[in-house]
Amino acid sequence: MTTHSNQTLSADPGPAEPETAASAAARGRRPGAALSVGRLGSRFAALVVWLVLAVLYAALRPETFLTRGTFQTIFGSQQALVFLTAALLCTIIVGEFVDMSVASNFGFAAVLVAVLNVHHHWNVWIAAVAAIAVSTLVGLVNGWLAVHLGVNTIVVTLGMGTFLLGLGLWITDLTPVSGMPSGFAQIALHPIAGLPAGFYEGLVLMLAFAYVMRFTPLGRNMRFVGANREVSRLAGIRVNRLRLGAFTVAGLIAGAGGVIASAATGGFDATVSQSYLLPIFAATFLGTAILEPGAFNPLGTLLAVYFLATGILGLQLLGAAGWVSSVFYGGVLIIAVTLATLLHRRAA
Amino acid sequence: MNPGASAPRLSLSGVSVAYRRNRVLHDVGFAVGPAEIHALIGQNGSGKSTLVKVLTGLCTAEPGACVEIDGVPLRLPARLADVRAAGVAVVHQSLGLVPQMSVLENMRIGRLRARRFSRRIRWDRERAAAGRMFDRLGRHVPLDVAVHRLSEEDRATVAIARALQDTPHGGGLIVFDESTRALSRRSLEHFYEVLDDVVRAGTSALLISHRLEEVAEVADRVTVLRDGKLVEAGRAARRGSEGELARLMLGRALQAISSGGGHARPHAEPAVELADVIATRLDGAAVRVAPGEIVGLTGLADSGYDQVPYVLAGVERAASGKLLVNGDHIDLDRFTPAAALGAGVALVPGDRERAGLASGQTVAENAALPRTGTAGPRLSPIRRRAELAELIPWLDRLRLHPPDPHAVVGRLSGGNQQKVVLAKWLSRGLRLLVLHEPTQAVDVGARAVIVDAVKDAAASGCGVLVAGSDENELSMLCDRVLVFRDGRVHRELAGPCRPEVIVAAVFASSQRRPLRANREERVCP
Repeated sequence: MTTHSNQTLSADPGPAEPETAASAAARGRRPGAALSVGRLGSRFAALVVWLVLAVLYAALRPETFLTRGTFQTIFGSQQALVFLTAALLCTIIVGEFVDMSVASNFGFAAVLVAVLNVHHHWNVWIAAVAAIAVSTLVGLVNGWLAVHLGVNTIVVTLGMGTFLLGLGLWITDLTPVSGMPSGFAQIALHPIAGLPAGFYEGLVLMLAFAYVMRFTPLGRNMRFVGANREVSRLAGIRVNRLRLGAFTVAGLIAGAGGVIASAATGGFDATVSQSYLLPIFAATFLGTAILEPGAFNPLGTLLAVYFLATGILGLQLLGAAGWVSSVFYGGVLIIAVTLATLLHRRAA
Repeated sequence: MNPGASAPRLSLSGVSVAYRRNRVLHDVGFAVGPAEIHALIGQNGSGKSTLVKVLTGLCTAEPGACVEIDGVPLRLPARLADVRAAGVAVVHQSLGLVPQMSVLENMRIGRLRARRFSRRIRWDRERAAAGRMFDRLGRHVPLDVAVHRLSEEDRATVAIARALQDTPHGGGLIVFDESTRALSRRSLEHFYEVLDDVVRAGTSALLISHRLEEVAEVADRVTVLRDGKLVEAGRAARRGSEGELARLMLGRALQAISSGGGHARPHAEPAVELADVIATRLDGAAVRVAPGEIVGLTGLADSGYDQVPYVLAGVERAASGKLLVNGDHIDLDRFTPAAALGAGVALVPGDRERAGLASGQTVAENAALPRTGTAGPRLSPIRRRAELAELIPWLDRLRLHPPDPHAVVGRLSGGNQQKVVLAKWLSRGLRLLVLHEPTQAVDVGARAVIVDAVKDAAASGCGVLVAGSDENELSMLCDRVLVFRDGRVHRELAGPCRPEVIVAAVFASSQRRPLRANREERVCP
């Protein structure tokens, strides 16, 4: 058993009690989780900043920030971003840099379900399944082009994203679609303990994703493919299948997110999806500074989404106008990517 | 001997591979016997790596090829899963480990098993499985440490242990595809000590290497490829037969390269001097290079010697230090690559693909970069004709193959790429040429050309600094060798020195042990 771990302290994001790597190993836990006290700080530094931000806003605007409504806005309005970041993570973890089509794919699924239901009078559930199937297919096509034909991922997905955006505008005649049944809205809005169902769906998605990444062979294989394709291939991992699968699942998640978003508002405006593009990247990269420094990780990304929502809402409460979200997301993206680079350098 | 042992462990016959119209392997066949180290050698572009790719399924051989493992034909095109099931493991270049992952993860990746319902990995079982492999090797490495934190020797052990998982006890075959090229001599000794135990237990090894000294020292038999054709299969190897092997590989005798530079004019002025350099891995380093002198820098992996080239070229910033060149005192803490070039100092970096060349551009464009990169009026048109006129004599001298200035660099072999890097700088008058591992992963033919070119540069009055871990390379090139320890010069080996002397100085406490001391010298079958 390892004896070198005497000076190291191991901690888990979940059960935070310190223990030695040896005892962790005895329980058959994930290896390599032993961390020095110094790195412990960088895991939670972003969370401390989040807390400071919240306290600051609470101090400046106690009458509006410290309300149930604020809490509900922060946690209840981010469902779209949670699904979109999960979709982006699928491909980014296996080393594909970066899928630019997730936002448009999401938006296309959202308008497609609305158009099929409202204009073509399909049953809303069938329309939903059809929309998700189309998004999944889009992911598969992306993957096929990028993996089997070896076309540059950014170019393929940028083209695909623009293409889908155009298609979305075409099938909606450039106007927002609305009028989906209110019963269907329950899949997104049904309140549970004060928060809409969409919040829990995003939470379950991210927890499942984190589980796969942390505990299963699939997750470990994904990380290796992202780290070194040739080593993984020679280890017997079916690298191309995994990459293709990542693109496909990314499409599936984006589509499901789009359908839920459409349900929440009873319809969708095709142009809206573009406004998500930057926040997705900001949150995903900020996520690499949380919980697992230097690595793209689902739970870190989930926390980053709410971190960003807190920041924006607070600034709006302080009286900032509509431009603030662009400034904030753009700024955070730069800071987050810089942080990710620095952390990665230290981890390597 | 059991009956199965009479069939060769691996036998190939009639293997031909063509990429479009370009045939890279012609009807190649040879056999690897049980419990032997079989080396496969050949220049860059001779088809060695293609042969490995046929075995791992990345390349498809033309119909008529036959690959047998222990007498059982392998279905072609090969599927990696079948190959592994037949007991063949491949170790990739530079050991094929992912540095930021733990030893256990590296060992078990691709083999991880999940629990039935939760799909969680059973780390206790994975740990036991990895432990069994280290038990089989009789060596132990902590399983939870990230691979990049291990010593180089332990990393070599992990790579062998990992490959061993696919081979049955006392059988199977491990293919090492340039796996040892980044290892220092000490780690190399350790590597072959471990591998020798494995081979003696009955497993075979197919070794692909550029280092003929190493091949002659460790291999039982050698197969030689030249231009995609078999030159000789299963020739018995002997210590000291590297000259013979080089001749087979090149198809011509290699001119004996005299060791040492021999052009030094140590008292000629002005010398280039580096003094009191403090940087992340340097602590008071001082080096003096006279015009025409070739000085070698070496040391253990963490001794800092390999940072000197990058500090000198202004690529890595020093905290403090002075460079005396051409009578100017330059402060190194504000040194930049442009300033280095201005002072006549140029770097040939070790990592060719990343820092040496733009692989998508042509030979001419790469070679002209030093000029276009620092030219005065940036918007005036490039004088292509003059550029070429200046370059072509250099390409001739360096025997670039193909001798086409418009060839795309990425398509050239490693040795020829390195020639282009050299041509890029030699065509300019330099005061100091700094090289880092100039002949790493370069075949012997190109190596001789490169060594000659560097010596010519020195003879014309340029100072040369060579940082490297390959004692044979240093011995061939250098007038003096400086051995680093703890970020400064620890010992100076004056005069031309033999490889043994360099190794002994680097590893102070130890001698250069023969690799595989107990190899039985076999007779040619």
